[in-house]
Amino acid sequence: MGVGLFQYTVLSVLVFLLGALGLMIRRNAIIMFLCMELMLNGVNILFMALARSKGSVEGQVIVLFVMAVAAAEAAIGMAIITSFYRSRGGIGVDRADLMKW
Amino acid sequence: MMINAWDVVFFFLAGLILLSALGVVFIRHPVYSALSLLANLCVTAILYLSLMGAPFIAMVQIIVYAGAIMVFFLFVIMLMNLSKGEYQERAVPWRLLLGLGAAALFAFQIFILAGEWRGVLSPGAGGFGVKALSHFIFTRYILAFELVSVLIFVAALGAVALAKKKL
Repeated sequence: MGVGLFQYTVLSVLVFLLGALGLMIRRNAIIMFLCMELMLNGVNILFMALARSKGSVEGQVIVLFVMAVAAAEAAIGMAIITSFYRSRGGIGVDRADLMKW
Repeated sequence: MMINAWDVVFFFLAGLILLSALGVVFIRHPVYSALSLLANLCVTAILYLSLMGAPFIAMVQIIVYAGAIMVFFLFVIMLMNLSKGEYQERAVPWRLLLGLGAAALFAFQIFILAGEWRGVLSPGAGGFGVKALSHFIFTRYILAFELVSVLIFVAALGAVALAKKKL
């Protein structure tokens, strides 16, 4: 037996699930963002393993694009969190309750 | 049952990745959580470099994720200077249960799918270099590449606008 696509898939799914779990159970906006990066990282592992197993380089190209989108998302997200912190005085997402007036 | 050295390397790195991912989710202090994510990204880069033969992606992972994005996060965390009561969240059992249930359901779906993906990956070097990668980026994916550059430009502008404006 050797380490195959199945083991890589299990690894990437577990990383993705830990990210999703963190997104659901944490209430700190920054840590929710970290968990989103964790989910993106899990998806990247799967893309790389699939590219390796199919002998195609295109999976690595997709990984590059995912990283670029993650960078853009982090910039916007941090700006939103900073602005939210200034207007609400905290970063718990329970403070974002303007809609339930 | 033969166990070769590459399998040991894989399981060691996979264990480190999962451990640091657990750290991101369950450590209370935001700075330690961010540092745990940093460890996760670096170990993932080692995985790419050693087992998948993708040195370029590994370097980009270190530079973009571990360099740029993590500096963003740590900068914002330290800018806010949260007090101890601010980052401590109440543990809500039903929320944890709900999250675990949803995660288990999702895992079940994906493991059904993943069961069909058999096959051994040849570990070690001999992957794709920068040349093969850039050939695809600048021919077939040229439109996506340009759009990503526009996206990052707009994101930088939007971040500045959001940070300046008094919301």
